[in-house]
Amino acid sequence: MEKVIETQDLTKAYGKGNTEVRAVDGVSLVIERGEFTAIVGPSGSGKTTLLQLIGGLDKATSGKVLLAGTAISDMSGRALSDFRRDHIGFIFQAYNLIPVLTAQENAEYVMLLQKRDKKERRARVQSILEKVGLQGLEHRRPAQLSGGQHQRVAVARALASGPDIILADEPTANLDSTTGADLVDMMKTFNEESHMTFVFSTHDPKIMSRAKRLITLEDGKIISDVRQN
Amino acid sequence: MLLLKLAIRNILRQRRRSFLTTLSMALGYFMAAFTFSVVEGSYGNIIDIFTRDHTGHVQIHAGDYLDRPSLYKQIRDVESVVGKVQTVPGVLAATPRIFAPSLAYAGDKTSIASVVGIDPKREALTTTLSQKDRIGDYLTGAMSPDGYDIVMIGSALAETLKLKIGDELVLIGQGVDGSIANDIFIVGSIVGDKDSSERIKVFLSMDAAQRYLSMGNTAHEIAIVTDSPDEAEELAASIEAEIADATLSVEPWQVVEEIFYNTMTADKQSNKISTLIIMAIVAIGVLNAVLMSSLERAREYGLLRAIGTQPRQVFAMIVVETMMLGIIGCIAGFVLGLPLLLQLTETGIPMPTPVDVGGMAFDAILAEVSLTTLGLPVILVMVTSFLVSLWPGFRSARITPTQALQAV
Repeated sequence: MEKVIETQDLTKAYGKGNTEVRAVDGVSLVIERGEFTAIVGPSGSGKTTLLQLIGGLDKATSGKVLLAGTAISDMSGRALSDFRRDHIGFIFQAYNLIPVLTAQENAEYVMLLQKRDKKERRARVQSILEKVGLQGLEHRRPAQLSGGQHQRVAVARALASGPDIILADEPTANLDSTTGADLVDMMKTFNEESHMTFVFSTHDPKIMSRAKRLITLEDGKIISDVRQN
Repeated sequence: MLLLKLAIRNILRQRRRSFLTTLSMALGYFMAAFTFSVVEGSYGNIIDIFTRDHTGHVQIHAGDYLDRPSLYKQIRDVESVVGKVQTVPGVLAATPRIFAPSLAYAGDKTSIASVVGIDPKREALTTTLSQKDRIGDYLTGAMSPDGYDIVMIGSALAETLKLKIGDELVLIGQGVDGSIANDIFIVGSIVGDKDSSERIKVFLSMDAAQRYLSMGNTAHEIAIVTDSPDEAEELAASIEAEIADATLSVEPWQVVEEIFYNTMTADKQSNKISTLIIMAIVAIGVLNAVLMSSLERAREYGLLRAIGTQPRQVFAMIVVETMMLGIIGCIAGFVLGLPLLLQLTETGIPMPTPVDVGGMAFDAILAEVSLTTLGLPVILVMVTSFLVSLWPGFRSARITPTQALQAV
């Protein structure tokens, strides 16, 4: 299998000397293409920081992050922005959407940055919005959508540009358990259909059970890494 | 397109704030347009009064007469020179003049007098002398039934010498040939008041002045007016080329009335500073609104950065948004302010006390509406909008996605 994500002794420390806190402490892991991985652990265990480092949103204190063979930990500025745009889809816990754009425009946004053809954009986004169950809501703005619908639009946006990896930081944290479970099931369906790599963080046991691989963090270190059926 | 779409929607998103920001920009536009219109209008009016009073837009003299006037620095064959000047495109009218100091006698009264020889018809086409308040008829060049030349004198001279219409006036001076110039004249009219620029002048016809001073077909000055006063310098150059006489100097009114022109230019500069202060006040208000808006949307910019938007695109988004507010502000300021400015071009702002400018009553400050007075404020507002957007723009562009995520 092809390695899509690889971290080598990844460390993110805040503060110095006696006050130093290691949010991520020497994490080395490999995630292969098509995996559906949950990063779990208690609050403060380093889940969000690890996802930010993998996604190139933050700089590691030491160690390396390689995505599809590219060392993004060595990248910066425009190159890193372009890499994120073209290879990574993000779903955040909240504040996922641009308030002044409709659901369709939000989903199209990254493709617009990629300067994709309008016809291609419209067709792909329409198809994805149907798959995430937002048919008929394309022209609604975020304020006119429920929390679950927000996250579905975020999933649609993350998928639309056709990235290698989708990183989701506690995507269900602000949703009720049923809606959250539905969202993860939907992500899982896309994972199975498209073989896109999904990595998401959660501390919800119901959601964890849906992951094929469970990486558990504690104090910034991996304490277990199990594959489950 | 994406930037424009986002900018328009973001403007509509906070309607009240956008309205107030636009209003302050509209006010800034109007204040600047008002200042420029009034300054240009009042100075345009003063320049017009000044140049049409006696200076003209261009003057010709012999040698350095302008700096060191002398009876002997004459324009030779003046009629030929005036003829050439009148062929230059843009010249509306040209008139020759003679200047000489003299002593004036009437009965047992004596006064100094400034003799001015004019061509009455050409002078009337060139300056407003014929339209000024006076007692009696404007100079025609005619003689009295007794064969004396009829003159028009200033009212201060008339008062000093106790002269009335029809009285005799004796002038004594020096002719250009070294002889003593003296002659008797008849007062045909009294012009202006005791404070006006004509107060001690004695206006003679060119013939009479040339005879009195033994000048032949010469003069000291040719005053020229044009239909394009703003192009006086270019016209002076054209006239100089046409007359092609190295003994003559051709100068625009800005050189002839150098002190007035410099004072006016300095005053205009101070008005520009006032306008910049107005724009600075507007800029602070707009900066506050734009900065507040960008701070509120920090998470949004972080999100945009996270999903691949370049910092320069975030920067451009804020600049475009602020510039659009500037455009709307200019349009609003233009639409709301134009009727008032147009009204001011007609009625002006009344002066509490009319001011005498060269014998002409200046009783209102008239505005001038032109591409400059309406266009320059647009540039000012747009430059202000751009400058104001720089700080929030840079600040927002530098937001890291992590900051946005932490804010969630």
